[in-house]
Amino acid sequence: MRDGRNTCGQAYALTVLTPILESRESGLARCLSQLQTGSRSPLANVPGTHFARWVIIGDVTYEGAGQRRDHLHTGRLLFTSTFDGSVEPYLEALRVGLGGAADVIWEHCAGYPGSSDGEAFAAYMRAHQIESSLFFSAYPASTVEDVQRSLASRRRVIDFAVRAQAMSAAELQAAFQQTFAT
Amino acid sequence: MANIDGKATAITVLSPVKRGGPLLLWLVFWALRNISATLRKLEMLSFIHYARWATIKRFPDDGGGERLNYSYLLFESNFNGTWDQYIDAFSQVLGFRIKLIWGTSFGFPGPLPVEPFKAYIRRNEFIANHYWSAYPEATTTEIISAGRVESALQELCGSTAGVDPDSFRVAYESFLGKVQRDL
Repeated sequence: MRDGRNTCGQAYALTVLTPILESRESGLARCLSQLQTGSRSPLANVPGTHFARWVIIGDVTYEGAGQRRDHLHTGRLLFTSTFDGSVEPYLEALRVGLGGAADVIWEHCAGYPGSSDGEAFAAYMRAHQIESSLFFSAYPASTVEDVQRSLASRRRVIDFAVRAQAMSAAELQAAFQQTFAT
Repeated sequence: MANIDGKATAITVLSPVKRGGPLLLWLVFWALRNISATLRKLEMLSFIHYARWATIKRFPDDGGGERLNYSYLLFESNFNGTWDQYIDAFSQVLGFRIKLIWGTSFGFPGPLPVEPFKAYIRRNEFIANHYWSAYPEATTTEIISAGRVESALQELCGSTAGVDPDSFRVAYESFLGKVQRDL
């Protein structure tokens, strides 16, 4: 695995495809559909994650037109994440942050060692990882924390600019210092 | 809809690649990685947070991986806006590069006209079972704007420490002028 191919600035693109155990696909789909979403998603507990998804690939597609039919021996669970920093610390953060949810999901996959052993968990993810060919980021230098902090700063500047419209120079300076002094 | 979290939408496409395609893709991706114009083109699509492509030669399993008749091209994107807007802009702005990349895949009709291209993407798309964003309410443009506002704000804080109120007002107004398009 050439990790350089998976990076853009400080961001890393993790792509993992794990084989779903026979006749467990619908159970896995049910389990994923029952996960809480938004700020209650188990992924919300994995620091450094910008975006992540689980996708069940039941089988590959067939486009006809001179193509021989392909079938996966078993469906795959695709997990992708875009996160800050390097992969090894992230896999540990993923294991710890997902907690029980990691097992509830990946126990449907062949060879999954469980999440109690950090090294085994990381080795399983690495063994099923796919290298990126091209990875693009619109803000490659920004961590999740940077993004959230600058969004908050922008909101504060907007609020302040509205509030400060009729202030005298002295009031403006005092209010600014009160609002933005770090 | 599991493909959406707030303003963020996930797209996941897995398409079968013709024989000889993997070698061509290797060259195309090498060129795209090393010729920065492509990344600038992607930046022009100001609603893409992150996107990736990967060529899958073997589907990982417990052994050496499952090899099918063909390699498969995986594409994923995280963007804001609707699916239709995304594909419309993607095919308009990246037409030639889309042709280079998906031209190796079976059934690819070309990026334009857009309707057959959309139908092709839909046929090869997989809907996420669970999708999550750390900042679901922020668009890519807002994030980039916010970064500029924050840098300018820090500059203002640093340059106005200890100045008199009138000088502060001048600096503040100049700051507002500088960031007004980002607010």
